[in-house]
Amino acid sequence: MATVQDFTGYKPTWCPGCGNWGIGMGIKMALAELSYSPSSTMVSFGIGCSGNMNDFLNAYAMHGLHGRAIATAIGMKLANHQMPVLAVVGDGDCYGEGGNHFLHACRGNHDVKVIIHDNNVYGLTTGQVSPMAEKGQKSKSTPQGIIETPLDPLALAITQGASFVAQTFAGDTKHMVETIKKALQHSGFSVVNVLQPCVTFNKKNTYQYYMKHVYKLDASHDASDKMKALQVAFGIQEERFALGVLYETNREAYHTLAVQNKDVSLLNQAPFSGVVSLAEEFI
Amino acid sequence: MQYTWKIGGEAGFGIMTTGLLFAKIASRSGYHTYDFVEYPSLIRGGHNAYDVTFGDEQVTTIKPTIDILICLNKETFDLHKNKMSKEGLVIFDPDQFTPEGESIAIAVHFQKILKEMNGQVIMKNIVALGASLALCGADLSELVAILGQQFGKKGESIIALNRAFAEKGFEEIQTSYKQYIRPLLQKRESDKQIVLTGNEAFAYGAVGADCRFYAAYPMTPSSGVLTALAGWSAKTGMVVRHSEDEIAVINSALGASFAGVRSAVGTSGGGFALMVEAVSMSGITELPLVVFISQRPGPATGMPTWTEQGDLLFSVHAGHGEFEKIVLAPGDHQEMIEMTPYAFDLADTYQLPVIVLSDMLLSESHATVSYPEVKKFMEGYTPRRGKLITKADATYKRYALSDDGISPRLVPGQEGVYYQANSYEHLEDGHTTESDVVRVQQVEKRAKKWQTYLRNDFLTPKIYGDIKKVQTILVGWGSTKGVALETLKQAKAQGKDSAYIHFSSLYPLHVQKITELFSGILEKCILVENNATSQFGKLLRMETGVNIEKKIVRFDGRPLVVDQLLKTI
Repeated sequence: MATVQDFTGYKPTWCPGCGNWGIGMGIKMALAELSYSPSSTMVSFGIGCSGNMNDFLNAYAMHGLHGRAIATAIGMKLANHQMPVLAVVGDGDCYGEGGNHFLHACRGNHDVKVIIHDNNVYGLTTGQVSPMAEKGQKSKSTPQGIIETPLDPLALAITQGASFVAQTFAGDTKHMVETIKKALQHSGFSVVNVLQPCVTFNKKNTYQYYMKHVYKLDASHDASDKMKALQVAFGIQEERFALGVLYETNREAYHTLAVQNKDVSLLNQAPFSGVVSLAEEFI
Repeated sequence: MQYTWKIGGEAGFGIMTTGLLFAKIASRSGYHTYDFVEYPSLIRGGHNAYDVTFGDEQVTTIKPTIDILICLNKETFDLHKNKMSKEGLVIFDPDQFTPEGESIAIAVHFQKILKEMNGQVIMKNIVALGASLALCGADLSELVAILGQQFGKKGESIIALNRAFAEKGFEEIQTSYKQYIRPLLQKRESDKQIVLTGNEAFAYGAVGADCRFYAAYPMTPSSGVLTALAGWSAKTGMVVRHSEDEIAVINSALGASFAGVRSAVGTSGGGFALMVEAVSMSGITELPLVVFISQRPGPATGMPTWTEQGDLLFSVHAGHGEFEKIVLAPGDHQEMIEMTPYAFDLADTYQLPVIVLSDMLLSESHATVSYPEVKKFMEGYTPRRGKLITKADATYKRYALSDDGISPRLVPGQEGVYYQANSYEHLEDGHTTESDVVRVQQVEKRAKKWQTYLRNDFLTPKIYGDIKKVQTILVGWGSTKGVALETLKQAKAQGKDSAYIHFSSLYPLHVQKITELFSGILEKCILVENNATSQFGKLLRMETGVNIEKKIVRFDGRPLVVDQLLKTI
């Protein structure tokens, strides 16, 4: 059985205290606890501090293009649906550059587990605002304060068809591991938004800030109730961040309808043998 | 001999279907065909026209003079009357208009027939087909047979209805115009043939190549590939995905390629512009990918339903940074069928993006291809997947340095191993690096793949005619092959020998082979291109120093025609 150590690659280059350390550990622990191994897992990384996990997490992986990790992950899953596929992305990466892919992956309910490192800034390019930044937040690209209001990714995911929508906090490893494990066990598009302090470029959304503004969903929360889940998601507008599974439903994942033989991956299916007779329709 | 049959009418009323029916009937009767569709970028209204040139020898281009013109409205006559051949036949409805001029007017009472038989407007086409077949000395048996295949047993009433309308048209000719019946489509012995578009040829080639993942976003004139592959997917098992945009298209295809299946995408210039960042990723991650581009006149939205070879240099240069890719351009339908699996083989062998260039002319025109030859080709084809491996040990390095520049590529899933395909510059094991030494090693490793390709797989240009003896040599690429070959034939008939050099491996070019080829003949060469700036000429000059000064270009959205080329010989 693979251990956390087996999943551990190079020594991370993240800033000391960065929330990425916790998320990296959370992903590795979740994978190990569910008995996955680096050889049985595919991961698609975006570009950013989050995507840099490519060198620190062992797996069959693609470190692709900024914003495109979900699109890449969809291709991986369709080609070999017998391996779990994760997309490790940032908030600018996923909700900004890759917003269209996020939206349509929700619709498609592709069986991809998306772990979003949500720190409100573009860390790797030295701290410009992300689509998650609070209105008025000042940064190098918005010296007068950002004009837009932040995106509500959880509400977006719920309304657009994602079948698993959760939020967790980089400062709570235990909760994070449990949440990522639930995502891994769900079949369908799974959104895990991880609230993550950026200790270098975001002086507002610190560990202390989140300690004050997060709360855990308790057993009374009915994750199958879409309207209730939306209400919880909207809490973001009052700086109240729910932790836990907001919404979960059973809907056929895309690959179960797109790949002809569900028991065999597209990769391992027998080649089509009727190519010669296929031409007869042109006679 | 070659003849051109043309039907025109208002868009949205079955012109396309009718044209293809005529081409298929000609093919089944033992004749070769090539067709061309004219249509505006809209669904209803506007003018549609469909040319079918047919003959007893291979037809490679449209003969622009029309021998039989079916006018489903007066506009058709007004637009095309100047292209009528001597003694050409104009089929018209005397209740609509009377054609003036020298052509022979053949009255067929479309509207009256519709009224009498209570038919829908679309049935005019079938009446026209019946009349056309009568004039060409054919009977209705092939038409009935094709309809039978299309509609099956359940469609007996539909077939009977169509047959009744076709007979009406047929009878009008038999009754009133017997003197104009010529045996143009009398049954003759020939190989069984298929009639397909360049898009269908690519799709068919992709199935033959065992491509398992095709993604696209609809874009004229490439959408026919998506339609064909999606239509077959229940049979073939291919995952055919219409994604949210072209960026998703190509990134998902690269994800599938990483996971080990043959993958392709298809688009036109504008969609390809959106894909370009990921073409560059295919380069550095060394992931095989086939990109089908059907060109249309740009820039921007341009003229969506017309033809141009305007994206050659864009394709060649597509992608930031320096990396290896291969650009191919099949010249006709058969080449498209055979070159498509070859493109997949090259992508796998050299682990890079391979672009297959088509254009509206090749993509949307149907042509006849010998079925036994296609059968033979497909039966003899086995995918060549290069250094794709399914077993490796823990010492495996995805980007291991090698003499030929190609590293073994492990299909993900092998127990005890893992690796990453990295869009950052990377170490041999795939991990990110900024080392100057490793950077140089990896750049040089990837560059070696081109050398290996040029050594082992570069297709030297095909030569038609004797380039040493003739006074004029046409030089072209892609779909210009058809018009060039017909020009050679017609020049010969006039007693003038000429030759044609056809490029289908466009990039990279083999400098030594190309400079040797043009040595001593350069003065006789004329570039033939369906664009404004003779892009292949520029590419040839840039890559090999070969500078062809004389050129014929056409960039009005229409394909080159024989007359334009014949003047130069």
